[in-house]
Amino acid sequence: MRSTFHSLEVARRGLVTQQTALQTVGHNIANANTPGYTRQRVNFEQTEPYPAPSLNRPQIPGQIGTGVEAGSIQRVRESFLDIQYRGENNKLGYWESRADSLQKMEGIMNEPSETGLSTTLDRFWQSFQDLAVNPTNAGARSVVRQRGLAVSETFRFLSDSLTSVQGDIKNEMDVTLKQVNALSEQINNVNKQIGEIEPHGYLANDLYDERDRLVDELSQLVNIKTTQVGTGGSPSALAEGKLTIDLVDDSGRKIGNLVDATTLKVNSLSLDYRNDTELVDGYSLGDTSFGIGSMQASGKLRGLIDSYGFMEGNTEKGLYPDMLNHLDTVAYEFAQEINRVHESGWSISSMETGEHTAFKFFEFKNTDITAGNKKDAAKLFTVSADIVQSLDNIAASGYNKGIITTGEFLGYNGVENISVSVQSTVDAAGVQQFTYTVYDAAQSPKQEMKTSGNFASLEQLGQGLSEEFTDESGNSSVNFNLDKVRLEDVSKGNFINIDIPKVGQVGGRVGDGSNAVALAEVKARSLQLNGVSTTFQNYYESVIGGLAVDAQEANRLSHNSETLRLSVDQRRQSVSGVSLDEEMTSMIQYQHAYNASARMITLTDELLDKIINGMGIGGR
Amino acid sequence: MRVTQSMLTQNSLRQLSTSYSKMGKLMEQLSTGKKISRPSDDPVVAMKGMYYRTNLTELEQYKRNLSESYSWMENSEAALDHVQSVMHRARELVVQGSNETYSSEDRQAMAKEIEQLKHDFVQVANTQVAGKYIFNGTAIDKPRITDANDPTSVSTENSPFEVEVSRGIKLQSNINTENVFNKDMMEIWNGLQSALETSDTDALKDLMGRFDNAADTVSAERSELGARYNRLEMVDNRIGYQEVVATRILSDNEDADIEKVITDLTSQESVHRASLGVGARVIQPSLLDFLR
Repeated sequence: MRSTFHSLEVARRGLVTQQTALQTVGHNIANANTPGYTRQRVNFEQTEPYPAPSLNRPQIPGQIGTGVEAGSIQRVRESFLDIQYRGENNKLGYWESRADSLQKMEGIMNEPSETGLSTTLDRFWQSFQDLAVNPTNAGARSVVRQRGLAVSETFRFLSDSLTSVQGDIKNEMDVTLKQVNALSEQINNVNKQIGEIEPHGYLANDLYDERDRLVDELSQLVNIKTTQVGTGGSPSALAEGKLTIDLVDDSGRKIGNLVDATTLKVNSLSLDYRNDTELVDGYSLGDTSFGIGSMQASGKLRGLIDSYGFMEGNTEKGLYPDMLNHLDTVAYEFAQEINRVHESGWSISSMETGEHTAFKFFEFKNTDITAGNKKDAAKLFTVSADIVQSLDNIAASGYNKGIITTGEFLGYNGVENISVSVQSTVDAAGVQQFTYTVYDAAQSPKQEMKTSGNFASLEQLGQGLSEEFTDESGNSSVNFNLDKVRLEDVSKGNFINIDIPKVGQVGGRVGDGSNAVALAEVKARSLQLNGVSTTFQNYYESVIGGLAVDAQEANRLSHNSETLRLSVDQRRQSVSGVSLDEEMTSMIQYQHAYNASARMITLTDELLDKIINGMGIGGR
Repeated sequence: MRVTQSMLTQNSLRQLSTSYSKMGKLMEQLSTGKKISRPSDDPVVAMKGMYYRTNLTELEQYKRNLSESYSWMENSEAALDHVQSVMHRARELVVQGSNETYSSEDRQAMAKEIEQLKHDFVQVANTQVAGKYIFNGTAIDKPRITDANDPTSVSTENSPFEVEVSRGIKLQSNINTENVFNKDMMEIWNGLQSALETSDTDALKDLMGRFDNAADTVSAERSELGARYNRLEMVDNRIGYQEVVATRILSDNEDADIEKVITDLTSQESVHRASLGVGARVIQPSLLDFLR
């Protein structure tokens, strides 16, 4: 037999459940603009029908419905989209930070412009050209010195600016690291809270939202993978459990735990630096250390490490160390070549004394800089003290491709106008040997007077040549110094000609600007730079070109991954976002159902009224 | 696909900011007049830009060197012209002097004039241009002839003063001084003077031959200088042309095409207005506004 008040109970259940739904609608509307909020839905469930099958069940025609209840309140979310979103967010983090670093670098290098290193080198070249035309002009010399100072200041400025930005990146890296650890800590706390709620069968929807938001944020910084760990007690079937966050490499293999949901512990992430270079050497997760190689190219943290620089074995890698290395190479080799040519020329001060003095044009504030250790060459680049001290120490005259001739020419076997040619041959065994030939240049064409035997080295050739020119008493009168000669200038079909047109001093002439021209040519001279045969001009152009392509790629990929992330986010919003229209529709729907349930109570009331007050008068 | 209000507003905001960044780029092109403002905008343009700038700087420098060469050559030319007229006058005097009809007093007077001409010659030999002795090889800080009466005081410097006028191409800017202002010439001058003073007509005739030879050499040297001057002008023309080309290439490479930029900007502006309009419409009244 069913209850007289059955319908009243069914209608009451309707009222309560619709009200719950209306409250959820209200919650959704209120949070329409809350970041990370996922719309919620009340899962309506029919209550158990009456009667339940049993032996003593009442004999009625069939089971009859007993109304509705709110089974659960669930978030509408697609976890697959979360994974996609985090993947894109991770790439965006990397490319964005890389693009940002490169943008700063482009700003510092400032090419092409009227103020970059390239223009400064052009101006330096120009000043030597002007000096070549006016070798005696103190003004032209002064300009050479000032332009030289400008070159050294530009090298120093670039190096200092790059280093200072590198320092900023390090700070950003430390802040990012703190962020990673703070986020891990927060996720762990949310895990704890969820662990307290779920065993009671509740769904911690708002905590899930909070946790998803934190994980999203974390995914931009490092590459992570999440795993659900169930809570104890009697959780709802829809419960999402606690989340374990693993740091993973690019192929998704686990490196270690950031947040452990089972033990509710957090492993803090930290970076290890190499002592001498101060670059990133590896990282530690909790107590375990890893090589930097396992943290693959993704995430903001890795992007910053790539920019700041890291150690691969014993080599420095990274955007900023690379650029500094290029600058150091250019600075070092430029100084070496300028100095080689400058030292082989004759300065006014040398001409005055008649003694050849080799002055360096550039030097490094720190003498530790050698061909094997060019680090900080750009930072320590400076015009030499000799040049700063006196303009007369600038050697503009007497260029013989590095051969320095000193002394007094007294004629050679009675000939007063000679030309000496120095070249090299390679014998059958492939050994390089050097020879010289003396010509009588008064004849036209010039007549060969003597060809030497083979010398094993340029130094020996210099000695042999010096012994060839003697005064009456047999002492050497002209001395040939070949220390500053480049091997390339005498090999592969190249030779050096020294013309001695008349008897007398063989040193430089004040009006001769040949060494200034040679100094100007250094910029465009083909040299071995970092193992590549190129000129300073081309090398620097290629460095800037490389930077430009790198920056362009980073900008493009950062734009691409942002677009992709946005499109995933759109799809996520499409599933989880609150639509006001939809909520309004639901609201009206629930309101009507609520009203109808209320009407049902009125109806039942009227039915009962009929039974109680309208049927017969026996009870009165 | 389910679309919500926030998705619409988010999208519309993003479109607006993209549109702003495009306009920003165009505005930048318009105000700087350059296609690119940083290398990553177009790496190839940036690299070429560096190269073309250097190229242009070099050409400007070579032009500057050329003008120095011009100065040397024009001054040398003027000096040689003067030398020739001096020698011309001297020859007249010598021809007169070797004529027996003149008395020794007349010859004394001629000797005086020859002496003046000799000093004139020496003065020319010591010509200075901007503080540089242009007829003493590369020893431009020292005079060619220190004592007009002493032929051994003539310097023997004869090195070419070379000026780089194109990459690796050097042009001699001074004359072969040894051919004009040499010891022999001074001996002739002094010989002429003393022969006239002593009325030694035999010596005069003898010197006359040497004098004519010297005059020929001067003439030859002047022709050579003229030829070299022509070459200089040719180099100048070529560099002038190259400079025009280099400037044009530099401009083609990195200067913004203003007409195009303005057109793009105008069309971008209308796109922007449209997206603003769309943005305003996207924020629609919701169902709420129609419910009572």
